[in-house]
Amino acid sequence: MIFFEEIRSLLPQKYPFLFIDKAIEFEEGKRIVCVKNVSGNEPVFVGHFPDFAIMPGVLIIEAMAQASIILFKKSLSAQNTKDSVFLLASVNNARFTKPIFPGDQLLIEILIEKIVSKGAIIQASVKVGEKTVAKANLTFGIAEKSALISG
Amino acid sequence: MNAEEIEKGVTAIVAEVTELDEKEIWDKRDANFFKDLEIDSLLALEILALIEKKFKVQIPEEKLVDITSLSATIDLTKSVLTESGKLSS
Repeated sequence: MIFFEEIRSLLPQKYPFLFIDKAIEFEEGKRIVCVKNVSGNEPVFVGHFPDFAIMPGVLIIEAMAQASIILFKKSLSAQNTKDSVFLLASVNNARFTKPIFPGDQLLIEILIEKIVSKGAIIQASVKVGEKTVAKANLTFGIAEKSALISG
Repeated sequence: MNAEEIEKGVTAIVAEVTELDEKEIWDKRDANFFKDLEIDSLLALEILALIEKKFKVQIPEEKLVDITSLSATIDLTKSVLTESGKLSS
């Protein structure tokens, strides 16, 4: 189990843009299962939508990406990730098969398909209960933050 | 598995990733991915991962730099499959 305080320290994203609450399963270099509890109190529902709270598909992709970053950071050595940023480079075969509402608990499973020093490809699937609600394949570039800033 | 199956399989993968049709990418099989076809290093990684999945083979990271054209990618796949005993030369 990886609890919220560790999640918060691992992810560069912070409130109100943290979309993982904890991780319940983890296999180094292979797989992670994260939990995201969707609350009607989240800022996004002020606007999406004022009369109909539904979790935006792009934020489901963001939750997949954050779960992936936790898996990468826990799998690669701290030395390698100290100055690393993980950049979402492509989203393939994304499918949103059921709408997600406040009260739903997302189980986000990430499987690493390929990881090299400069990039990674993962398969993500999201379930609410037994039902798959979303799937996608994501590609990340892994870069040094200092190199990106200096151009 | 024979050489023709590898050529067809790799061409289909590169066509899928580049969103070009198979005939077009085959005609441009010696074109440089990075200079001529706007493929970047992460698309090359996607090509490598799809080859691994399709041909059930592991390709080490250092071979990623050999993915520079369709012809080079086919040669790389053939050499990896020959080494693993899946392609009889």
